[in-house]
Amino acid sequence: MKTFTYTIQDEVGIHARPAGLLAKKAKEFQSTITLEKGGKSVNLTKLMAVMGMGVKCGDTVTVSVDGADEETAFAEMQAFFQQNL
Amino acid sequence: MKDKIFGVLQRVGRSFMLPIALLPVAGLLLGLGSSFTNATTIETYHLGNIIYEGGLLYTILDIMSKAGSAVFDNLALLFAMGVSIGMAKKEKEVAALSGAIAYLVMNTAISALISAKGGVEAMAANSTTSVLGITTLQMGVFGGILVGLGVAALHNRFYKIELPQVLSFFGGTRFVPIISTVVYLFVGVIMFFLWPVVQSGISHLGTLVLRSGYAGTWIYGILERALIPFGLHHVFYMPFWQTELGGSMMIDGNMVSGAQNIFFAELASKSTTEFSVSATRFMSGKFPFMIFGLPAAAFAMYRAARPEKKKMVGSLLLSAALTSMITGITEPLEFTFLFVAPLMYAVHCVLAGLSYMLMHILNVGVGMTFSGGAIDLTLFGILQGNAKTHWIWIVVVGLVYAVVYYFVFYFMITKLNLKTPGREPDDVEPKLYRRSDVNAAKAEKKAGGSAAVDMVSAMVLKGLGGKANLSDLDCCATRLRVTVQNAELVDDAMLKASGASGVIHKGNGVQVIYGPKVSVIKSNLENFMETPEAEHLDSLFAESEAETTVEETKPEPEQNSAPAEKAAGSGECLTLCTHMNGTAIPLEEVEDEVFSQKILGDGIAIRPAEGKLYAPCDGTIETVFDTRHAVNMTSADGVEILMHIGIDTVKLEGKYFEAHVSDGQAVKKGDLLISFDMEAITAAGYKLTTPMLVCNVDDYAALTPVAKGTVSVGETAIQLTK
Repeated sequence: MKTFTYTIQDEVGIHARPAGLLAKKAKEFQSTITLEKGGKSVNLTKLMAVMGMGVKCGDTVTVSVDGADEETAFAEMQAFFQQNL
Repeated sequence: MKDKIFGVLQRVGRSFMLPIALLPVAGLLLGLGSSFTNATTIETYHLGNIIYEGGLLYTILDIMSKAGSAVFDNLALLFAMGVSIGMAKKEKEVAALSGAIAYLVMNTAISALISAKGGVEAMAANSTTSVLGITTLQMGVFGGILVGLGVAALHNRFYKIELPQVLSFFGGTRFVPIISTVVYLFVGVIMFFLWPVVQSGISHLGTLVLRSGYAGTWIYGILERALIPFGLHHVFYMPFWQTELGGSMMIDGNMVSGAQNIFFAELASKSTTEFSVSATRFMSGKFPFMIFGLPAAAFAMYRAARPEKKKMVGSLLLSAALTSMITGITEPLEFTFLFVAPLMYAVHCVLAGLSYMLMHILNVGVGMTFSGGAIDLTLFGILQGNAKTHWIWIVVVGLVYAVVYYFVFYFMITKLNLKTPGREPDDVEPKLYRRSDVNAAKAEKKAGGSAAVDMVSAMVLKGLGGKANLSDLDCCATRLRVTVQNAELVDDAMLKASGASGVIHKGNGVQVIYGPKVSVIKSNLENFMETPEAEHLDSLFAESEAETTVEETKPEPEQNSAPAEKAAGSGECLTLCTHMNGTAIPLEEVEDEVFSQKILGDGIAIRPAEGKLYAPCDGTIETVFDTRHAVNMTSADGVEILMHIGIDTVKLEGKYFEAHVSDGQAVKKGDLLISFDMEAITAAGYKLTTPMLVCNVDDYAALTPVAKGTVSVGETAIQLTK
């Protein structure tokens, strides 16, 4: 399992659009990818749950990647967060 | 490999049908317009007083004639677009645009090279022409077909391409015209060097065919008929009709290539005194056997049918015979005996070939737009006058042909005991007919409401092995042309029960012959495939067999009302209702890719007429976004729903939105969730389109958007099947 933390830069946070893109990205990998904030943790492929987290600009989230392709998934998810959020 | 080639050729053949279908109309305009503006005609019929140059009638006729000519002159462009459309698997409109552009680019490239070489004078004589004002090589429809096939290949390969982020605007279908332009620029350059070689090759081959005289015509005629069963006749005769293979001729100072083009150029020319039989010999032969021979054969089959079957067979044969006589579409008739009596078809081919040869020998110069029925004979034979066409020989030979066909067919059927319609053993065909009658009757019975199931389409689809078995579906003038995944799943008996007169298999290519009504069958089938019933064919058929329960198990879905329980197979059906008053649109039309490409889920959108969002079902509010422009809820059945008011409205940070519910709250269908100020949001520059999406759409077998047009809150919006 690999994890990274990231502080959201995007001023509107993880609203519908980024959540959708994030879930789409997470579905590309076999690994289970979870998003954690303030003790609450959700599977990134679960769009509703991700939106329900209400992640805002300035929040720090922890992303964990666990599974067969975790190396690539880790690198790509990190890149995705940096580019889009 | 052989099957694959057949599959491709079949698709090429049917992709010709779109441009070809235009020819009868263009021919009608040209035929009428030019006949009565031709100086000889006017003189012969003493029409000089009413039709004279500059007069109203003359001008109208002249416009008709020129409009018709415009179609024939630009056939190559039509083929470039038509073949692109026919061969493209999806997003056909993009293929059409790309085909047109590629055709222009290719010819322009050739044109520039011709100028560079020193203009038309520097080229071989008669090797150039003017296309849409571009001086280019004389390629006829070959040029168009070359573009169509290539563009379609590029299209099928690239229409879903994903480009790097910065270039993503140019990705997907937008990439197709771009790559087509680039590729055909080079194709143009290559053709400039290659085509003159092909040109001389073709003209030698054409000369050979032309020089082989009457025997050549006979062989052409036999081959043309013999290819009908394979549906490849269009591929065979088209080059003769449309390219140098069918001869070239100087008419009114223009070089014209192809038998049909020569005929119509002569028709348009006001100085024609007699049509060139060297061109019409590839056409005129159709008239005697289509108008006289085949109908007589139909009569022979009728006479040979068993007395108790005559009535049923009679109507079938009569309509097929009339179709052949009037329009020259012969397949409905030919297929009634092709499969049961191939030997008779062989005889028919030889006689048909002979007809072509006789017309050639007798110097008959009647052309046609599409086929050899009475319509074309009238326009291009009788109206042009016997002096120019010698059409009278068609009637003379035709009458002889009628007698020959009648006796040959009657003799063969009775002596060889061939199983033509009405002679088959009792247990096979009639049973199938009865089944189809029963089903049709049932379909009618259910047709009380608009939602009645289209049983014919259901049978066709089942006969073809179900929706999942279809990889490609199209039709030509008379047959459904299908590529299937697994040919073994195709059920010929079921297809015949649905009204087909024959089924041809070739690897994964299947052709089902229905006759001219096939285009209706195809559209119905396509519509039917969109309905949820198409997914549950087996239960549909199980249902219609268990007659007693039909009415109970299939209540007609109440229109626009709350949960319509549909007995669609084992799948449980869930309904979401409309979430707003306004206009419902498909998700694909939403002005934001994240919705239109269904990244967030599948569903429907509404352009609101009032600033209120309502609950589409009973359930629990999961999240009201801080910005109050979107709500997540989970229905009592577990459907995860996102409703998002407006496009990009997250940027309003909650301004103009008021939430009436909070996270975790239970709601009932129709409860007010959010109200918003439509005017203020619109004034701020945002669109109000509000998608309602099912986020966990993967948990369901099917999602069908139902709502369309103007809707009010509480109507059925989406149906989900588990």
